[in-house]
Amino acid sequence: MQTDALIRKVGGGRLSREDQRRLGDILQRVYDDVVRQGVPDRFKELLSELDGHKGGADSDQPAHAQGSEGSHDSGGLVEAKAFPHSKGSAS
Amino acid sequence: MTMRPSVRDAMLAAVPSLRAFAISLCGNVDRADDLVQETLLRAVANIDSFQPGTNMSAWLFTILRNLFRSEYRKRRREVEDTDGSYAESLKSHPEQQSRVEFEEFRVALAKLPSDQREALILVGASGFSYEEAAAICECAVGTIKSRVNRARTRLSELLAIEGADDFGPDHATRAILSAGGRS
Repeated sequence: MQTDALIRKVGGGRLSREDQRRLGDILQRVYDDVVRQGVPDRFKELLSELDGHKGGADSDQPAHAQGSEGSHDSGGLVEAKAFPHSKGSAS
Repeated sequence: MTMRPSVRDAMLAAVPSLRAFAISLCGNVDRADDLVQETLLRAVANIDSFQPGTNMSAWLFTILRNLFRSEYRKRRREVEDTDGSYAESLKSHPEQQSRVEFEEFRVALAKLPSDQREALILVGASGFSYEEAAAICECAVGTIKSRVNRARTRLSELLAIEGADDFGPDHATRAILSAGGRS
């Protein structure tokens, strides 16, 4: 009965911080359970296929072997090596 | 559209979280994985439009969400329809009690309107800021906040009601409440 009353409050508006935290915990665990499954092989293969298509497999050098097309080489694109997690970078 | 290893690695690193997001959107592991695959294909094809210095993960989430929504429009009813394959994917989970919780929670989550569900997951589980979630969902920050609040409220109502149906009034509530104290 007590717990029932606790949840009833919800009808009145906002959840208590405590209830929010508990909901959050479950949500996080459900989500993390999938995250922990890691990267299925199918996606590893897909990405290296897509990559291999264009350039020399997983070598350091970009697709120079593929010939003339490499000239524009998307240079600046990946120049930013670290992708800083810019908060609030609206589009 | 040559991919440097760093780009490919960033995409790979985002995959587990993308899957979790996709599964919570459509409630079906197979469809979710197809969605992730299509997202990666799109991303690679459009890698030139990725802005360096921005968050790769947020970019991929945006693509996935847009794909999901266009598919959702096509088969509105079917999408809400979960087939238990999500529960199947959790089969390896060691704690029986947790599986019951998970299952109840998943069912309740699937009943939320999709805009509330995605907002809650982006902010509450994927770890995006309100601002990032707003960018991903292409709406105002205030809209995200109110969706998250409504999602939480609705979720706790649903869990309380579900419990009343199946196990008496306190069951789901207790599952929720005890979950907090466990860790």
